[in-house]
Amino acid sequence: MAPIISISKLDKYFGRLHVLKNVSLEVPEKQVVCLIGRSGSGKSTLLRCINFLEEPSYGVVEVDGIAVQSGEKSKAHHQLIHAVRLKTGMVFQEFNLFPHMSVLENVIEGPITVKGMNKDQAIALAERNLEHVGLLFKKDEYPLRLSGGQKQRVAIARALTMEPRVMLFDEPTSALDPELIGEVLTVMKKVADEGMTMLVVTHEMGFAHDVADRVIVMAEGELIEDGKPDAIFNHPKDPRTKALVERRPLST
Amino acid sequence: MSISVEEQSAPKSQAELLYEAQLRKERRFRVNVAITWGILLLILVLLFSGPIKIDGEFVRKNMLYIAGGLWQTVLISVLSIMLAIALALLAALGRLSNIPPVYALSTFYVSLIRGTPLYLQIFFFFLALPQLGIQLSGLASGVFALGLNYGAYMSEIFRAGLASVSKGQREAAMALGMTPGQTMKRVILPQALRFAIPPVGNEFIAMTKDSALVSATGFVHELMWRATKVGRAQFHNLEALIMAAIFYWIMTLILTFIQNKIEARLAKGDR
Ligand SMILES: Nc1ncnc2c1ncn2[C@@H]1O[C@H](COP(=O)(O)OP(=O)(O)OP(=O)(O)O)[C@@H](O)[C@H]1O
Ligand SMILES: [Mg+2]
Repeated sequence: MAPIISISKLDKYFGRLHVLKNVSLEVPEKQVVCLIGRSGSGKSTLLRCINFLEEPSYGVVEVDGIAVQSGEKSKAHHQLIHAVRLKTGMVFQEFNLFPHMSVLENVIEGPITVKGMNKDQAIALAERNLEHVGLLFKKDEYPLRLSGGQKQRVAIARALTMEPRVMLFDEPTSALDPELIGEVLTVMKKVADEGMTMLVVTHEMGFAHDVADRVIVMAEGELIEDGKPDAIFNHPKDPRTKALVERRPLST
Repeated sequence: MSISVEEQSAPKSQAELLYEAQLRKERRFRVNVAITWGILLLILVLLFSGPIKIDGEFVRKNMLYIAGGLWQTVLISVLSIMLAIALALLAALGRLSNIPPVYALSTFYVSLIRGTPLYLQIFFFFLALPQLGIQLSGLASGVFALGLNYGAYMSEIFRAGLASVSKGQREAAMALGMTPGQTMKRVILPQALRFAIPPVGNEFIAMTKDSALVSATGFVHELMWRATKVGRAQFHNLEALIMAAIFYWIMTLILTFIQNKIEARLAKGDR
């Protein structure tokens, strides 16, 4: 079966800084992949190149059969990027809920504005997903009145309501108080169990160990190790991986 | 300090006592300010009823006529602020554009308008344009000049409003698949405009007073024009201008009151 995400020979420069170095990666459908690595190793950049929040300098990104060659500026190129974004949901470290919209409005915004779904249908879908993350009772609240954990669960519901094929998570629990991390990881595990393809940048080694099918280690813009969680955590090959997994003991 | 029986029966904590003292101090300050305002107002009234001779008859006769200018003043201000908001928003968006002519147009406009006096701009529309065959009414000249002028200054407000929306907001919208236009309309602008409401209110209040300059065209019968007309004709400029001043002042007080209410509402920040 063809991989649902396929990245080949991706390079990304910020000015003179070479942040991604000839990165290639294939992710089969329904796989849950955790990306780990030290700060500044390029994890976020790699994730953001998949939905083109960052435009790669060189290389090809393919999501669910839509291949986008970087370095173009044509209208067709933008349409491809749009198509890729429709297939990917993203969850940010800082939640980025729209503060001027209620929880429900946040969640129906995408389907209505982007997909032109009718409102009743969007609400039905949104309510189902809010129920799923356990926050239907907060649907009329504004984000300001939610805890960080609740905000992130709404953000997950918002992304899921676009019915993406792939979910990208960029350190979804890093901005949370420790006691709120669990509820978000629980929701993510639920999403994973339902067969979503997930790419998760995280420092939660417990989650990576227990939920991921595959763990990839990044260092200085390269993928230095790639394998089953057990292999990465218990038999790391690269000394940099060793340092990384030893420094952060498993939390569960 | 005397201590009442109740207070003795339920001893208060140090923090509570300090807090109460703080509250008393703040209340005393407000009361004293109000008293001083009253005194100043009284002095002003006494001044004009005693040492400075005011012609009561003139005041009674012309009060309604001058007050009739309020309508024109409000009309000019409302039309001008609407034009100003539209221009300011366009100029602010232009500043964010990476299309050189758009960016240039925006900065050029702001620079030109801020580099010349409002008074000159009003006359330019009213007196200079006819030479080019464009004849604008006094009202239209005033509205164009005030709108253009305030638009240039207010572009800064909208620029700050747009800048107040975090980068993450745009990214979240883009990640959902919104186009740049949808992102601006649905996510960025609503937040930027909300941010801009209080300062735009301030500009509107300032504008109601700057609208007096439009009287110079001689064709807009707003407060200032009416006051100078009857004042000069009957050599009662003192009374006429005092009346106009009072109307401007009352108008400003009312608008400031409304403005504070709106601001308090926004500050509650349930959104
Ligand atoms: N927009 C940008 N402009 C310039 N440099 C950037 C930009 N974004 C990231 N970088 C740089 O690129 C490198 C990789 O950043 P990236 O955010 O991908 O790292 P990361 O692995 O996600 O780190 P962290 O764990 O701290 O989030 C860093 O050196 C960073 O400073
Ligand atoms: Mg990062």
